[in-house]
Amino acid sequence: MSVFYIGSIPNPIKRDELPEHRGDTQNGELMFWAGGCASCHAQVDADGDEQLLLSGGLEMLTPFGIFVVPNISPDTEFGIGAWTNLNFVNAMTRGLSPDNKHYYPAFPYTNYQHMTLEDLLDLKAFLDTLPSSSDDAADHQLAFHYSIRRGLGLWKRKYLKREMPALNDPSTPELERGRYLVRGPAHCGACHTPRDSFGGVIANKFLAGAESLEIEPGANMDSASRIPNITPHEDGISSWSESDIAYSLESGFNPDFDSFGGSMVHVQENMAQLPSEDRAAIAAYLKSIPAIPSDQN
Amino acid sequence: MKKSFLAAVIALAVAAPAYFAFAADDFAFKSQIEGRQAFMQLYRFNISILGGMARGDVEYDAAAASAAANNLLVASKMDNGAMWPMGSHTEAPGLADVTAAKETAWSSYPNIAEKGKDLTEALTTMAAVAGDGLEPLRSNMGAVGNGCKGCHKNYRLSRD
Repeated sequence: MSVFYIGSIPNPIKRDELPEHRGDTQNGELMFWAGGCASCHAQVDADGDEQLLLSGGLEMLTPFGIFVVPNISPDTEFGIGAWTNLNFVNAMTRGLSPDNKHYYPAFPYTNYQHMTLEDLLDLKAFLDTLPSSSDDAADHQLAFHYSIRRGLGLWKRKYLKREMPALNDPSTPELERGRYLVRGPAHCGACHTPRDSFGGVIANKFLAGAESLEIEPGANMDSASRIPNITPHEDGISSWSESDIAYSLESGFNPDFDSFGGSMVHVQENMAQLPSEDRAAIAAYLKSIPAIPSDQN
Repeated sequence: MKKSFLAAVIALAVAAPAYFAFAADDFAFKSQIEGRQAFMQLYRFNISILGGMARGDVEYDAAAASAAANNLLVASKMDNGAMWPMGSHTEAPGLADVTAAKETAWSSYPNIAEKGKDLTEALTTMAAVAGDGLEPLRSNMGAVGNGCKGCHKNYRLSRD
């Protein structure tokens, strides 16, 4: 029991670890789109400026139970308007609430932890400019053994790792930017990398495709979809050129001119808001990662 | 109770991979589902002509662009209701691996019909300008793409 107690203790960032940094809302907006915040925190059918109202409430159906996405608008009571920069950074990089409780990793902090503190402070500054909502999102409804938050401390010890895999030699600033976006804010691996039975991503199958853990809004529990392999393997996107990848993220058309569907449309529309150099960097990085076959089952 | 939960989790873990493992030869609404998939292929073929020019992979050809855009416009005005019978969605028994159309396409009707009108509107503009030069074609590709995604975003599964 004491092993559980010690192993699950939260490990927040301390105040003196925060850099002196004035939030840049322009870069914060770029991080907002790269991070896909609106895809979960706005209303499911939000369009245009409606995507900036991050009132939460979306129910994510998963095998662990139902996760209800929280309100992260600047409302001081129901949103995160009362949060300090330190609160925000701890949520994004350590998966901790202001009162030091563990968040469930349906919130992709295992990816956001790779973001620089400066980018996170810029994102916070941008979120502070968005409209408030006083919607009170419901609590998660999880199976009993998943409902003990403290257990997540142990989960984090195994899965909340900050190391980024090395780039192929020779590295370039474009590849580094691509790795940062893919591994960090854009959290591609949250869906495209398969997970083990504890819900942790399987690192040596990075982006090799997965069964979706989330049942898409409006669908039922029997309709989990297969998330494609996006490594340069023939099971993945080996036939796509860098230009194909960048164009698909800009336009929503794959090289066969079928359009993306489902939640990838949300992702693509976010990526379309980035500078073209960032989409090119993502494409270059995706072509540089190990080619891994999809699981044959 | 605990055992039955565990059994359900195991069943899910075992059944999920089987989900795409094979394509059934026979399934409910076969002709309608194959019909609408062929119809989508018709769209894709014509959009690829416009898209190839827009991306610079193929040299701009006013007559070819115009013909493709007009085909798309005509296609978008067809009454294909018979291809979309109630119950022919991916959550229906036996249809998970043959169609990606979600049940919400039907349950939220007529939203999808409104999205269809948006596509026709985008294609009306494209058909009017596709023969006028590469620039107008390029600048209208986004609207056509949005027309496709209008339905695919909420009414089709992510799988591609």
